[in-house]
Amino acid sequence: MFRNLNIILIFTSIIVLSSVYALKFSIENTASQRTALIALIDSQEGDLSLLKADEAVLNQPGHIEPIIKRHQLALAVEPVKQEQFGSFTAIPMRPAKPNSAAMDSLFLSLESGIDPIDAILELEGIE
Amino acid sequence: MAMTADDIGPTISLDGARKVRGNMTQARIRWMVVALVLGFGLVGGRLVQLGMVVPDNTIEGQARDAITATRPPILDRNGLEMAVDIRVPSLYAEPRRIIDVEEAVRGIRSVLPDLSEDWLRWRLTGDKGFVWVQRELSPAIQDRIMGLGIPGIEFLTESKRFYPGMSEASHILGSTNVDNQGIAGIERQMDHEDLALLQDLGLARGNALTPVNLSVDMRVQHVMHEQLVDAMTRYSAIAAAGVMMDIHTGEIIALASIPDFNPNVPASALVKDSFNRITAGIFEPGSIFKTVTMAAALNSGSVSINDQFDARYGIRFGRFTIDDFHGKHRVLSVPEIYKYSSNIGTIRVMQAMGKDNYRAFLSTMGFDARVPFELPEMRLPTVPKELSEVGAATASFGHGLSVSPLHMVTAYAAFVNGGNYIAPTLFKRDLAEAEPLYRRVISESASTDIRYLMRLNALEGSGTYMNKESLGYRVGGKTGTAEKVVDGRYSSTKVTNFFGSAFPMDNPRYAMIIMVDEPKRENERMGTTAGFNAGMVTGRIVQRVAPMLGIAPDFAPMIDENLVPPELR
Repeated sequence: MFRNLNIILIFTSIIVLSSVYALKFSIENTASQRTALIALIDSQEGDLSLLKADEAVLNQPGHIEPIIKRHQLALAVEPVKQEQFGSFTAIPMRPAKPNSAAMDSLFLSLESGIDPIDAILELEGIE
Repeated sequence: MAMTADDIGPTISLDGARKVRGNMTQARIRWMVVALVLGFGLVGGRLVQLGMVVPDNTIEGQARDAITATRPPILDRNGLEMAVDIRVPSLYAEPRRIIDVEEAVRGIRSVLPDLSEDWLRWRLTGDKGFVWVQRELSPAIQDRIMGLGIPGIEFLTESKRFYPGMSEASHILGSTNVDNQGIAGIERQMDHEDLALLQDLGLARGNALTPVNLSVDMRVQHVMHEQLVDAMTRYSAIAAAGVMMDIHTGEIIALASIPDFNPNVPASALVKDSFNRITAGIFEPGSIFKTVTMAAALNSGSVSINDQFDARYGIRFGRFTIDDFHGKHRVLSVPEIYKYSSNIGTIRVMQAMGKDNYRAFLSTMGFDARVPFELPEMRLPTVPKELSEVGAATASFGHGLSVSPLHMVTAYAAFVNGGNYIAPTLFKRDLAEAEPLYRRVISESASTDIRYLMRLNALEGSGTYMNKESLGYRVGGKTGTAEKVVDGRYSSTKVTNFFGSAFPMDNPRYAMIIMVDEPKRENERMGTTAGFNAGMVTGRIVQRVAPMLGIAPDFAPMIDENLVPPELR
């Protein structure tokens, strides 16, 4: 009985031992991956900070204006003048709408052969 | 051994040696099993216990970052970066690990030829564990030095402050030293306030610092800086400076002073002539101070806008006679005194309210203390504690006292915003936050009168050159040409010119002071008085920035007519 127990214990120990070692190595592996990732993130953050700084430089009005001045002829741009601004009051009022109902009835009566002018001409006595 | 029957007593059963050993072994094994179970149980229990522990990794990574003292990014009011942190490699050496110093020196100098050979040799020799060689290098140089493969030469990433606007907002931002600590400007102020505390607590690490929004508008700042640089060459001036303020919230929209420095090169910040003339420079303000006198008198009630004053003769004080620059020598109304910038008239106006009341008003306006402001570079103004008769007379037109342009812009803002003093700030502040800070210094009606006077001066007085440049934007302002003291007497050739203005006058939003120091005439037709230089600079700045600030030009004559106080219509 003890022999069997011993054999079981030995095998269990071997299995536990190897699994503990496997665990240890996998943890070490993960830790080194983590370190590598931290280093990567760090360097990428560094790169990002440089890119952001670049972007900030490119966005500065002090950086853009000389470029525009250099290409003023090609771009055909110049600082806005006061006269270029309009106001709402300067916009003309919308023209009165044509009386479409009256036009419709006129066209309908013309189509049916009645010309309202005829009645006026008759009234006035003009042929 | 022989055994007899006599010897046999009660029966003793003796176990055989094998059996005894067998029993003992079994007992031992049982104890061993118990011990093993206990041992493994202990280990297992401990493992379970360890598994339950929540690891505290808040402190992790601190050692690595300790050297990178990060600062929050500084943004302008529209979110454009004015200062950012960049990560740059710094070169250090471990001399005790260097095998061949000569080889290391040769290698490093092939990439960084600026380093002195002797210094480098001295630096790398010895048994030290850590020495800086060169800090804040570029990644390209890092690659080249790493390519050399010298043992004991390493890089460390450090945070470095970078100012993408270069010198444009230099006096606002200030600068930081190689350890990323603020040494001037808002950077220094930030260190004094919360950042230092945060760093002490170990909280200001990593990139989680919230950006700081300034009140500055980089577009306006750019235009002001550009126009001031232009003024330096156009008028061969020795210095030029300007500041623009939101009159309702006290926010500084732009602040520039030429000559300036490049904050990316911290050493240039400490050059003597590049001080901030807006906050740390005090000057005799000259005639722009007449606005203060007018506001004081109109507010006191002893002078009204309809009053007339005798400006026929100069005023004698003992040996001195104070006279007018372009004297009309007749009886002048209050608007005429302002328009013609009459010294005599201004003295009479001041005398009408009394010199002690006038002095008290200067204190109300904060002219004898520093302006409460964030920048550390400030100087105390010099305003006499008591004004003598002649002292009060000269003070009324801005001589015999020295204040900073920041004092003047704050005063102008209070005069046109309805009469409320609001301390300037470089941080974003909205109207609701500003209103509780208001302190009434002049009445609403005096403020209306001042608006009229300033606009009148732009239309008919010394501000006409300015107005030509900024037609439609309803700018009002006052010129000031202060003669400089050279060898103890006022010089007529060396002058400091100011232009104090506000716009748009029908509903003022911004106040501005422009200063040009020792200008020469631009061409034969132009003069050296403030209207020709500081005034025209003001006009050109407004012409550029008004559309950016959402102010549309309006040429309606009604606007100027509406500014005239009812008493004068």
